[in-house]
Amino acid sequence: MAPVPDPNNVGGGAKRDEATTKVASKDPKKKDDKKEDDLSEEDLELKQNLELYVERVQDPNPELQKAALESMRQEIRASTSSMTSVPKPLKFLRPHYGTLKELHKNMADSDLKKLLADILSVLALTMSAEGERESLGYRLTGSGGDIGSWGHEYVRNLAGEIAEEYTMRQSEEASVEDLMDLVKQIVAFHMKHNAETEAVDLLMDVEDLDLLLAHVDRTNFRRTCNYLTSSAKFLPGPDDMLVLDIAYMIYMKFEEYPNALQVALFLDNMQYVKQVFTSCSDLLRKKQFCYMISRHGITVELDSEMVADKDDRDMLQDIVNNTKLSEGYLTLARDIEVMEAKTPEDIYKAHLLDGRASSGPSVDSARQNLAATFVNAFVNAGFGQDKLMTVPSDAASGTAGNWLFKNKEHGKTSAAASLGMILLWDVDAGLTQLDKYFHSTDNPVLAGALLGVGINNCGIKSDCDPALALLGEYIDNEDSSVRIGAIMGLGIAYAGSQNDQLRSSLSPILNDAKAPLDVIAFAALSLGMIYVGSCNEEVAQSIIFALMDRSEAQLGDALTRFLPLGLGLLYLGKQQESVEATAEVSKTFNEKIRKYCDMTLLSCAYAGTGNVLKVQDLLAQCGEHLEKGDIHQGPAVLGIAMVAMSEELGLDMAIRSLERVLQYGEQNIRRAVPLALGLLCISNPKVNVMDTLSRLSHDTDSEVAMAAIISLGLIGAGTNNARIAGMLRNLSSYYYKDASLLFCVRIAQGFVHMGKGLLTLSPFHSERLLLSPTALAGIVTLLHACLDMKSIILGKYHYVLYFIVLAMQPRMMLTVDENLKPISVPVRVGQAVDVVGQAGRPKTITGFQTHSTPVLLAAGERAELATDKYIPLSPILEGFIILKENPDYREE
Amino acid sequence: MGKKYENVFELLIETTVYKKKPGRNRHDPTQRFVNPAPSKRKEPLTYDISRRPSNSVEEEPKRNKNKLVSLPSLQAIKQEASQFKMLTVSVKWQKKVFEGIEIDVSLPPYVFKAQLYDLTGVPPERQKIMVKGGLLKDDADWSSIGVKDGQKLMMMGTADEIVKAPEKAIVFAEDLPEEEQATNLNKLPRLVAVLQYTSRHTLSVCSGYSAGLVNLGNTCYMNSTVQCLKSVPELKSALSNYSLAGRSNDVDQTSHMLTVATRELFGDLDRSVNAVSPTQFWMVLRKKFPQFSQLQNGMHMQQDAEECWTQLLYTLSQSLKAPTSSEDSDAVKALFGVNLRSRVHCQESGEESSETESVYSLKCHISHEVNHLHEGLKHGLKGELEKTSPALGRTAVYLKESLIDSLPRYLTVQFVRFFWKRETNQKAKILRKVDYPLELDIYDLCSEELRKKLEAPRQKLRDEEGKKLGLQTKSSSKDGDVKMTDAEAPSNESGESSTAAQQEGTVSKTPFTWMIVCASSSEKGTHMTGIYDLVSVLTHKGRSADSGHYVAWVKQESGKWIQYDDSYPSVQREEDITKLSGGGDWHMAYIIMYKARFVSM
Repeated sequence: MAPVPDPNNVGGGAKRDEATTKVASKDPKKKDDKKEDDLSEEDLELKQNLELYVERVQDPNPELQKAALESMRQEIRASTSSMTSVPKPLKFLRPHYGTLKELHKNMADSDLKKLLADILSVLALTMSAEGERESLGYRLTGSGGDIGSWGHEYVRNLAGEIAEEYTMRQSEEASVEDLMDLVKQIVAFHMKHNAETEAVDLLMDVEDLDLLLAHVDRTNFRRTCNYLTSSAKFLPGPDDMLVLDIAYMIYMKFEEYPNALQVALFLDNMQYVKQVFTSCSDLLRKKQFCYMISRHGITVELDSEMVADKDDRDMLQDIVNNTKLSEGYLTLARDIEVMEAKTPEDIYKAHLLDGRASSGPSVDSARQNLAATFVNAFVNAGFGQDKLMTVPSDAASGTAGNWLFKNKEHGKTSAAASLGMILLWDVDAGLTQLDKYFHSTDNPVLAGALLGVGINNCGIKSDCDPALALLGEYIDNEDSSVRIGAIMGLGIAYAGSQNDQLRSSLSPILNDAKAPLDVIAFAALSLGMIYVGSCNEEVAQSIIFALMDRSEAQLGDALTRFLPLGLGLLYLGKQQESVEATAEVSKTFNEKIRKYCDMTLLSCAYAGTGNVLKVQDLLAQCGEHLEKGDIHQGPAVLGIAMVAMSEELGLDMAIRSLERVLQYGEQNIRRAVPLALGLLCISNPKVNVMDTLSRLSHDTDSEVAMAAIISLGLIGAGTNNARIAGMLRNLSSYYYKDASLLFCVRIAQGFVHMGKGLLTLSPFHSERLLLSPTALAGIVTLLHACLDMKSIILGKYHYVLYFIVLAMQPRMMLTVDENLKPISVPVRVGQAVDVVGQAGRPKTITGFQTHSTPVLLAAGERAELATDKYIPLSPILEGFIILKENPDYREE
Repeated sequence: MGKKYENVFELLIETTVYKKKPGRNRHDPTQRFVNPAPSKRKEPLTYDISRRPSNSVEEEPKRNKNKLVSLPSLQAIKQEASQFKMLTVSVKWQKKVFEGIEIDVSLPPYVFKAQLYDLTGVPPERQKIMVKGGLLKDDADWSSIGVKDGQKLMMMGTADEIVKAPEKAIVFAEDLPEEEQATNLNKLPRLVAVLQYTSRHTLSVCSGYSAGLVNLGNTCYMNSTVQCLKSVPELKSALSNYSLAGRSNDVDQTSHMLTVATRELFGDLDRSVNAVSPTQFWMVLRKKFPQFSQLQNGMHMQQDAEECWTQLLYTLSQSLKAPTSSEDSDAVKALFGVNLRSRVHCQESGEESSETESVYSLKCHISHEVNHLHEGLKHGLKGELEKTSPALGRTAVYLKESLIDSLPRYLTVQFVRFFWKRETNQKAKILRKVDYPLELDIYDLCSEELRKKLEAPRQKLRDEEGKKLGLQTKSSSKDGDVKMTDAEAPSNESGESSTAAQQEGTVSKTPFTWMIVCASSSEKGTHMTGIYDLVSVLTHKGRSADSGHYVAWVKQESGKWIQYDDSYPSVQREEDITKLSGGGDWHMAYIIMYKARFVSM
C-alpha cells in the first residue's frame, strides 16, 4: 500500500505473508531469502538472536537450553500483541520449526520439554499443516500456563483445533477430559475479552454450554444471550432447546427477568414461566410479565406461589386475561385519531377509479353485501362502532337491524358475527350488543350470534367463562348451522386454553355417526385450536377415529381437509418426536387423505422452526408431477412457508424457491404458491413479493388469481399500504364483472385496512423471537380454507375468514405508568438493526423518528425511549410497557 | 311489556321483603331484597301467601303463571332450611358492577333474577347469568352450582327489542331472472328503496339504469344521441302512443320507419340488462339520412352528433304530429321547441322589424369573451346579418337581437365548438372551457312578456326553497302585493302537490297530450319558472367533429348520473358532470339538455 518502502515498517509484506501462511510454510526458505535484504537493522538483530536461541536449545546443557527457551518465549510474547500480521519472531522461527520439532521428539520428559512444547504450540499456529492440529497437540503436552499470554490469535486457532479434535474423539469414543480443561481456559479467556461469540461457538462445538454459566458476568451476559438466542434458530433440534435453556439460566442469574420470560415462552416451558414469577419479588415487574404473557396468547393461571397476595393476583390475572386490551387499543386509536367509523366505501375508494369500474351492470348483490360485511368488520375491528351494524336501531333509516337482513341466508351468520369483531376484546359491550340476536328465531342469525361471542372473546379469558356458558348449550343443537356457529365460536374463544370441559363436549361430536360432515370438520378444527401445540393424545385419537370413519365420498369433500388440519394443529411447532406416533398412524388412512394428512402433520410440526431439511422434503414433494386428483401438494407448499417463516434468511430463501416452484410446478401447486408467499410476509409488505403477487393476480387461472389477491391482502394486512391499496383498487375495476374475484378483492381490501391500520396479523412478536401458536393456527386455517376457495370461502362457509381474528393484535407500543394509566413519553422508532455478535453498544435502530407514545410499530421496526426520565420494565418495547420513574433523573 | 312485569315483581318483592329490620338502609337498592330474619318471618309470610294467589292471578301475564304458582313449594323449602345461608356476590352487567348482592341459597335462582331485574331492568327470561360451566337455570339448585361467597358473576342481557326480520323479504338481485334484473327493480317500490340505499354506498344492488348500446363501428355519435333523448320520458310515451295515433298522411315512409325503430329501440333499452345492438335503428337512420352512410376506408365515418340529434328530432316532430295537425299538438315541439322573438334593426337606416321563429335548441357561441354558458347564450341570441335594406336599396348590416318568448320543457343547448377553418379546409374544434351550471336560470334571456309571466312562479319557488332551508321568508309578506295569498297558503300542501305534479309528469303512462297542455299553459296549476336543471350531457372527446368519441351522460330519476359509453353504462358523481366543460382533451360538453323546473300555484 505504501509505495515508499519504510525501513521500520514491513507490515505490508507481513500481511501478505499472513494471508498465505499455510501455503508459504511449505516453502519458507525461498521467501525468507528474498526478503533478507529488506530487513531493518532491528529485525536483523531479532533474527540473529532467534537463530542463536535455536542453536542453544539444541545445546546439551540444560541450563543453556532453558535460558534459550525462556528468551525465545520472551521474544514471542513480546510481539503477539498485533493481530493483523504474523509476528516477526514467528516468522523468523519458521525455518527452524522442523528442527525444534525434531528436538522435542528426542527430548526426555522434563520441564524443558514442556517449555519447548509451549513454544512449538505457538509456532504451529502458522506452520502446522491443515488438519494436523499440531498446535493443540503441543499445547496438551506443554506446561499449560496462562493461555491468554500467547495472544488472541493463538487462542482462536486453538479453539478451532479443539472443535475438530472433539468431533474426532467423539466418533472414536475417546476421552475428552484433557480437552475440556483447555476449553475452560479458553472460554474464560474469551469471556473476559469481549469474544463471547467465540466462547459460545466453542462450547457449542464441544457440547458443554453449561460451562458458560460460570463465566458470564454483568458486562457480557447480554451479548452472550443475544448470540445464544439468535443462533438457536439455526441449530438443529434438540440443540436449539439446550442453547435457549442456557440463555434462560443466564438471564435468570442476572435477574433479567423479562428476557428470561421471553425465552421461557419460546421454550413453551411453564415451569420456567413460573420460576420467573417466583424469583421476582417486584409486583410492578410482574405486571410487565403479565403483559408479555398476554401478548403471546397463552393461558396461564397464576397461583399463590407466583403471586402471594390475592388482590394482586387478581389484578395480574386480569392482565394475563387481556381484559385491558380493548382499553389500550382504544387509547391508541384515540391518540392517532382514527375513532371515526369507516364504511366499506371509504375503503373501496371507488371515486379514485375513472369511469365504469365502480359498479358494473352485473353486480351480485348478496355477494357484494357479504363482502361489505366482512370489510366493515375487519376495518372497524375492535373500535366498538361502525356504520352498518352498531348504528342505533331507532335511527330514521332503520339501517341497523336491516344491514343484517341485507345478507342472504348463511350471509346473515357472517353479518351477525361481524358484530363480535367490531366489538373485539370488549366482552361486556360485545355480549350486550350480541344479546339481541340470541332471541332470533332465524337460525343463521343465531349461529352468527354464537360465532360473534366467540370472536368477541378471542384472546380474552374471564372467570365467568361467558363464551362457554353461552355457547355450551348450542353444541348439540339440531340445526347444523347453529352447531357450527357454537363450535367455531368456542374454538376461537378458547384457542390454546386446553380446556378439558370443552374436550369432553366436543370430542363426542367427532365420533357421532349421525353428525353431518361440516359439523365434524369444524369440531376437529376447534379442538385443534383449543389444544394447539399441546400434543394431546386423546384429542388426536378422536380426530384419527373420525378420519377413519369417513366414507370415500366424504373424503373427497372440501371440508374434510379440516380434519387433518385439526390434527396437525395439535402438534404445531412441536417437531418430530411428538408427532411421530400420529404420523405413523396416518399412514394407515385411506389413500385419498393419507398424503394430505402427512403433509399437514409435517408442516405443522415444524412450523416456525426454520428446519432446512424439512423445507427440502416439502420441496421434493412439490417437484413431483402428479397425474391428477391429488391435493396434498397444496399443504406441502404452505408447509414450506410455515417452516421457513421464522427467520429472515430462511424466509428469503423460501421466497426464491417458491418462485421456482411457480415456474415449474403443476397447476395445483401454483394455486398454493401465492398463499405461501402471503404467509411468509404476513403484515410485512415486501416490495418483491408484492410485485410477484400483483403479477399473479392477473393470472389466467382464476384460482391462482384469487389466491394472489387474498395474499396481497395478507401481506398488507393492517398496514394501510398505499401501493397495495392502489393495486387492489385497480383489480376491483379489472374484475368488476367477475363476482367471485371481486369478492376476493374486497376481502383483501378489508385486510389491508384492518383495524384502520392499527393491527397486525404477524404471529411473531417480541422482536420476531416469539411465535404465538394461536395466531399461527388462525392464519394456517384460513390458508388451508383458501386452498379450495370455491367450495369454502366462496361457498357457504365464508365465515372461516373470521379465524383470522386469532392473529389480530394491535401493532402498538403503549407506555403506562406504575398505576397502569397511559402516559405519553417521547420514543424513537426506527428500522431495527441486527446487533448480534457486535462488540460494544451498537445502535439498535437506524433512520429513526421521534414520536410520543402510543406509537405504531411497522414490521421490522423497533422503538427505544428517547428520555431518561423513565425506565422501561421490559427491554423489548412492544405492546404494553410499564415505565418506572428514573430516580437518578435530573431535569436540565 | 316491561310495565306488566314490574307489577309481578313488585309483588314478589312484597312477599320476600315483607318486613325489614327497622333502621335498615332503604336507599341501597340491593338491600331491599334481603330476606327478613327467620324468626320474624313465619306469621307475616303465611298471611302473605294466603293473599297472593288472588292478587297475582289477576295481574300477572299468562306466561309467568306457573312460575309464581310454584312459589308455595318454595315457601316450603324456605321453612325447611333450618340454617340460613346467605351469599354475597357481585354481578357484572355491561360495564357496571353491582356489588354486594345477597343470594338466599334456599330460594331458587329465579328470585335472584328478579332481584337483578330490579337493578338492571332486564326481564328474567332475557337474563343470562354465567356461572361455572353454563348458564344459571331458573330452577337450579344453588348448592350444586357452587357459587362462592364474594364471587363475581356476569350477566348478559338487554331489554332491547329483539331484531326482527323485515316483514317483506328482501329480494336480491341474484334471485331475479337475469332479464328482469334491470327492469323489474324499478317497478317495485321496496326494491327501489334498497337500490337507493345501496347506490349511496356504491354497492348498487343492481344497475337501476338501462342498458348501453353496442357500437356498430363509429356509431357513438348515434348511441349517445339516443341515450340522451331516451332520458326524456315524455318523448318515450309520445312514441309509445305513436302506433295508436297512426301514421298521418304527410309523413313519408322512411320517417315512419325511423319513428317505429326509435320506439322499438327505447323499449329494448328498458327491457334489457345487457347492451343492446341498435342495428335496425341504424339501418333506418341511414336510409332516411344517407349522409350518415359516408364511408371512409371501407368504414362508416364518424359523424356530427349534433346533426344526428337535429335530424332525428325533426323527423320525430314530423311523424309525431297528431292527426288533427294543429300546431299545438306537435309533441316534439311542445317538449323542445323554443320560440324566439327577434328584433332586427338596421343601424344605418334605422329600420326595425320583428320576427318570430321556433328553434329546437339554443346555440352557445364560443368566443374569447365567453367563459360561461350564460355569456355564450347571450352571444348566440345576438347576431349580425346582411340583407337588402328596402330603405337604402342595398345590402346593409342588420343587428338581430332575439329574446325567448316561450319556454320548452326541455331546453337544449348546443355548444358551437366546431367550425370550418377555411385556411386548412377542415372542421376545427374550439377547446375553450365554457362552464355550465347544474341549475340554469334563463330569466334574463326572456322577453318582457314572458318575464312577467315568470315573476310570480319564481317568487313562489324562492319561498319554497327558503322554507326548505329553514328560513322564514319575510319578503313575501312585506311585499304585500298580489302574491300575498300564495304566500299564506299552507306551504306543505303546495309543496307536495308540486312534487306530485312533477312526478306525475314523469309517469310513463300519461298520455302525451296532457303534457302538451301542461307545457304550454298554466291552467293546470303548474308554471314554468325559467329555472332549468341539467339532465343530460352529450360530450365529445377529440380534435374534430368527424373523429374522436361521443359519450352520453344522463341523470336518472333517482338523481344519480350514468355515463353511457357505448355498451358500458357506469355511475358517475355529480361533481364530475360539471367537469366536462372543456379546456383540455377530456370529454367536453357538446350538447346539453336542461329540464324545466315547475312550480304549482
